[in-house]
Amino acid sequence: MIFFEHVSKFILSDVNIHIPQGAAVGLIGPSGCGKTTFLKLACGLLRPTAGCVHTMRFIPEKNRRKIGSMAGAFFADIPFFQGEETVENSFRDIRAIYRMGEEIFDREYAALAERLGFGSFAKEPVKQLSLGQRRRAELGAVLLTRPRLLLLDEAAEGLDQTAKDSLREILLKRQAEGTTLVISSHNMEEIAALCDRIILLDHGNLRYYGDRELLLKRFAPMEEMEISFSGKLPDPEDLPIAHYALRQNKLQLTFNSNYVTSAELLGQILAQTTVTAVTTRKSGLAEAIRESQSGQKN
Amino acid sequence: MTKLSPYLAFARKSFLGRSAYRFDHFMGILSTVLRIFIFWEIYRALYGGRAEVDGITITMVATNFILSLGLESVFYVNDYYLPSRIQNGSIATELLLPVNIHGRMLADNLGHALFQLLFHFVPAVAFSVLFIRIAAPAELSMAFLFLLSAFLGYGVLWTVSFVAQMLSFWLINVWSVMTIKNVFVNVLSGSMIPLWFMPDWMRGVIRFTPFSSIYFTPVQIYLGQLSLTEILCGFGVQVFWILALFLAGMLLWKKGQKKLVVQGG
Repeated sequence: MIFFEHVSKFILSDVNIHIPQGAAVGLIGPSGCGKTTFLKLACGLLRPTAGCVHTMRFIPEKNRRKIGSMAGAFFADIPFFQGEETVENSFRDIRAIYRMGEEIFDREYAALAERLGFGSFAKEPVKQLSLGQRRRAELGAVLLTRPRLLLLDEAAEGLDQTAKDSLREILLKRQAEGTTLVISSHNMEEIAALCDRIILLDHGNLRYYGDRELLLKRFAPMEEMEISFSGKLPDPEDLPIAHYALRQNKLQLTFNSNYVTSAELLGQILAQTTVTAVTTRKSGLAEAIRESQSGQKN
Repeated sequence: MTKLSPYLAFARKSFLGRSAYRFDHFMGILSTVLRIFIFWEIYRALYGGRAEVDGITITMVATNFILSLGLESVFYVNDYYLPSRIQNGSIATELLLPVNIHGRMLADNLGHALFQLLFHFVPAVAFSVLFIRIAAPAELSMAFLFLLSAFLGYGVLWTVSFVAQMLSFWLINVWSVMTIKNVFVNVLSGSMIPLWFMPDWMRGVIRFTPFSSIYFTPVQIYLGQLSLTEILCGFGVQVFWILALFLAGMLLWKKGQKKLVVQGG
């Protein structure tokens, strides 16, 4: 669905990526790493200085309107509506542009207005809305036409928790229906919940592109396991672990999940003592990113 | 209207949108009528009871400014349609919508203009001619050609604005450009001072600008001052300006767009 071949633009340098149809891709990395540039290249708002971009088999910069008819793009730094227009009128414009039938429009509009909660201020001019209110309406407008490709840049910024949850639910549903998602965000929880693939950018370089789980394995493979036991003191000395701590009747193990699984370790402990409770903790995406960046500095 | 063409929908919306501003609208009509009566008093005083000056009768002068001011109310162009979008960045959103932005702009302006024609031009001119005698169209065919020429005159005014709006890609504020443009339109189009009264050298200069094609050509046709060849020539000049200005505007648009996609805004 999206091809980047040796693409350079501003900070981005020599990026090669293929995003297949139906994928849910999270675009992450520190501020100024090129996330927005990536998305603007994908929809043709920027022209690459080197390399070439293909989106839905078109060169986006030359086929913006064609791509716009099938894809929905949202950028936090680009106003979506004109300030003096009301939310409702802006939606009617979108309806006219995409030639939506009355019935379909009414159904989609009602559903989105309810889910994202912009129905209550739909008759107000956009300039009178708060950031969060405007965001909800804007996202509603992007989702209204059911685009096959969604490019969202910091879309959840400024939304309250309820709206964030609703947006996540809607996007999950859209993804299940086959929509391709490319989302940039600083909220790793959100990315983890929605995306099965990750693009990790660092100062314009592609640090990682691939499966989310593999990213964790590569940059944050450490896991922790806490075992409560009764009876004999287990001996963790011979286990293939990085570190252990023993406190009263609790044993805490830190290990690299690339070398040993929690099941194997537990099996060995079970052979030595009676286990009463086990908790495990995997590193999150946030730690992986932190890890990848500290690795870069060294 | 389930699946109306988007352009028709925009025109319809802007037409209906005008009816929301009733007070604004009545003040607009009042302003046109007042200007017509002020002009009338000024020219009456200038004529000082004479039947004609340089072969121009006061009835011709009155016809000129009533029709020009009337058309001015119809010839609506939103000079800030593109500048406001370029300034606030929403031009990028519009570029991604599957609709031609210039078509959208034109449809928006035309819907507004149609409203003005029906509810501003007609009442203001009808009221004025109750008190001020104007010339009847020279012939019925001239009335028809007047309408055609007025339509082209709107095209000229629109494309002049089109070019000026494109400058907002490079200027932080186009307000001054628009003000200068509007002064040119007001003075050089002959709506305030009929071009008959301009010195010859100035008429020579104005002939080479698009401004006299906006109001003065239609009015001259209405008054039967032009021969058939001159009328055809007038149409030719109007079409020439529309095409030339539109192409110039599109060239600037391409350059402006390139600036957006290369520099990112």
